[in-house]
Amino acid sequence: MTETGLASSLGNGDDVVFLRELFNQAVVGGDAHALARAAQVLLKADGSRQNHRFLRNAIGRADSRTSGLRPYTIALLSSFSIEFLHDALIAMGIAHGLAITIQQSGFNTFRQDLLDGESSLYKAKPDLVVLAVEGEAWTVAPYGAFFDAAERDIEAVALTVRTELASLCKAFRSRCAAPLLIHNLAMPAWRKLGIGDAREAAGQTALVLRVNEAIASCAGEATDVHVVDYAGLVNRFGALSWYDDRMRLYAGAPIASAMQPHLAATYVQYVAALLGLAKKCAVLDLDNTLWGGIIGEDGIDAIALGATYPGSAFVEFQAYLRDLHRRGVILAVASKNNPSDAEEAFDKHPSMLLKRSDFAAMEINWGPKSESLVRLSKRLSIGLEHMVLIDDNPAECEEVRRSLPMVSVVQLPPRPEAYVRTLQEAALFDTLGMSVEDRNRGKLYAQRAEAEALRGAMNSVEDYYRDLAMKLTIAPVGKDSLTRTAQLTRKTNQFNVTTLRYSEAEVERRAQEPDWIVATVAVEDRFGDNGIVGVIMAQAEDDALMIDTLLLSCRVIGRTVETAMLAHLCDEAQRRGLRTLRGRVIPTPKNEPVKDLFARHGFDKVDVDGQGTTYWRLDLDAGRVAHPPWFA
Amino acid sequence: MRDNIEKTVRQIMADILNLSAERIEEGTSMDNTEAWDSANHINLVLALEEEFGIALDVNEIESMVSFPDVVQVVAAKV
Repeated sequence: MTETGLASSLGNGDDVVFLRELFNQAVVGGDAHALARAAQVLLKADGSRQNHRFLRNAIGRADSRTSGLRPYTIALLSSFSIEFLHDALIAMGIAHGLAITIQQSGFNTFRQDLLDGESSLYKAKPDLVVLAVEGEAWTVAPYGAFFDAAERDIEAVALTVRTELASLCKAFRSRCAAPLLIHNLAMPAWRKLGIGDAREAAGQTALVLRVNEAIASCAGEATDVHVVDYAGLVNRFGALSWYDDRMRLYAGAPIASAMQPHLAATYVQYVAALLGLAKKCAVLDLDNTLWGGIIGEDGIDAIALGATYPGSAFVEFQAYLRDLHRRGVILAVASKNNPSDAEEAFDKHPSMLLKRSDFAAMEINWGPKSESLVRLSKRLSIGLEHMVLIDDNPAECEEVRRSLPMVSVVQLPPRPEAYVRTLQEAALFDTLGMSVEDRNRGKLYAQRAEAEALRGAMNSVEDYYRDLAMKLTIAPVGKDSLTRTAQLTRKTNQFNVTTLRYSEAEVERRAQEPDWIVATVAVEDRFGDNGIVGVIMAQAEDDALMIDTLLLSCRVIGRTVETAMLAHLCDEAQRRGLRTLRGRVIPTPKNEPVKDLFARHGFDKVDVDGQGTTYWRLDLDAGRVAHPPWFA
Repeated sequence: MRDNIEKTVRQIMADILNLSAERIEEGTSMDNTEAWDSANHINLVLALEEEFGIALDVNEIESMVSFPDVVQVVAAKV
């Protein structure tokens, strides 16, 4: 490094010193939001190994009970030396409000660790298990042993990997209910057949693709097993950059130092999705965000949006947002503009890809953006912590960061061609998979807004319920509803009596117990099919049916669906000859809507404990919850 | 220049070994520093390479067994 290079890096270092000081203050401050934000800012300023180590040390010295971070244990099993990314993983965890503890298994002992019920893996009671295995450790056929004739039967290779993986998953699942992440196989950087490989039916390319199919289908059949697209990750950065041959051969550590944070970030994305920390709603600015220029000044004919640069970059950004919307992300607008100017742009501009109907709500006014966000949060019943402001204006971004620290802010870079990548790298909206509900969610929120409007026009609330023409389906949880059921327990915060979070494996296990009722609630109305919106779990104990979980997605709150759920539980209790229905409400900052649920339905409060949890009881001999008459 | 390198190396070693910078001395070596194990040696190499924009070969990696050795190897590379 030259003198000037060193000097300039020390210059940046001064900012980092300052940001580290702010971080240290946040560590003792006891506010997890503030601590996570301080970590985000520090990591953005300096993504070096040294800075990751700093964050790890700083949090290691702190008292975990006062930092406010949520403890989370990850068991890492690997076919290679993966400990060199521990620092990055822990640092990125802090930025997500997590105090990550890593249980590291030995070098390439993943098979033994999975099969041995007494292994340190299981003793650590992990929240997540990661099986970071390079392709060679599953099968050498697409790699070193490619020219070994016996290994060239592509189906036999896929079957061998699949069989082993299935039996390891089974052994794991019998001992542990945590979600499991497995890597798929990366393509080798160079092919042994050289330029001829790509057309070989059993070339290295074909072998890797076939084995990856087998891994995906094996994971799909198991419960709560997810595939880390390692092939995609290596491909994105390029195999020549991804691997460090020196460290692979010298230290058994094949992943290049600069690439390790990308893998750690991918793991953290899974953690965020599993914990329901993924964002739900993208709140967009308009001028210089959805189009170039200022609609109110430049006019509809002069804004940049169309076939030529820079308009082409804005069209591409709108296309990306439309894809997010199709995937289930809710779109909204917060813009300082005259509503009529903005509406004209949406209605009349020939290159406008996004339609006004793609947005669940718009706040177009001259007030502070933080106030617009608060109003959007109320109108859409989406918590501020699930909203992301996407804006090019640094001042607006800063105002929201200061006023609403729980809102994520993506400040767009100066050039519009980098907008899409900025959002892709932020990876804020990723979920584990796409359910039917996800695919329809964008539409559902628009339907909900229509339903709200209808309520305003009705004379009585009962007329409104009847007019909605709701059809309710309460059904035992099954294989096809398992993902959605676990997802709802993890992400429902408001209408949730106990806010107990469950993995797919836990739900599945419970559903097989004869004393448990585990049911999903689906609601259709005249505006469309809302899909599965509620979950009930209850256990028969002595002469009582104990409600463990009763939750409803916020999009159907206020339609007496909860009354129907309690009525259903009364039916179930009576069918089983039980005499009381019991429930409890564990208070959280979010679940205000359920505080009076049991009182409203005739339950008696029998106890309150030191944490404020209230206990309720309904004597079925004396009365029961009636079915609301408007459900079909 | 050499002072700057020594200061930066000292701070990197302190962070990796989770010791205060004053405890990194002339006599600090792999033999007498418990936290300086083979895994942290690799962590040290990777951090030095990143900070100074250098690449170390395995001979150099294996020769860095004390604090002065580390400074020596890095100074010869930058």
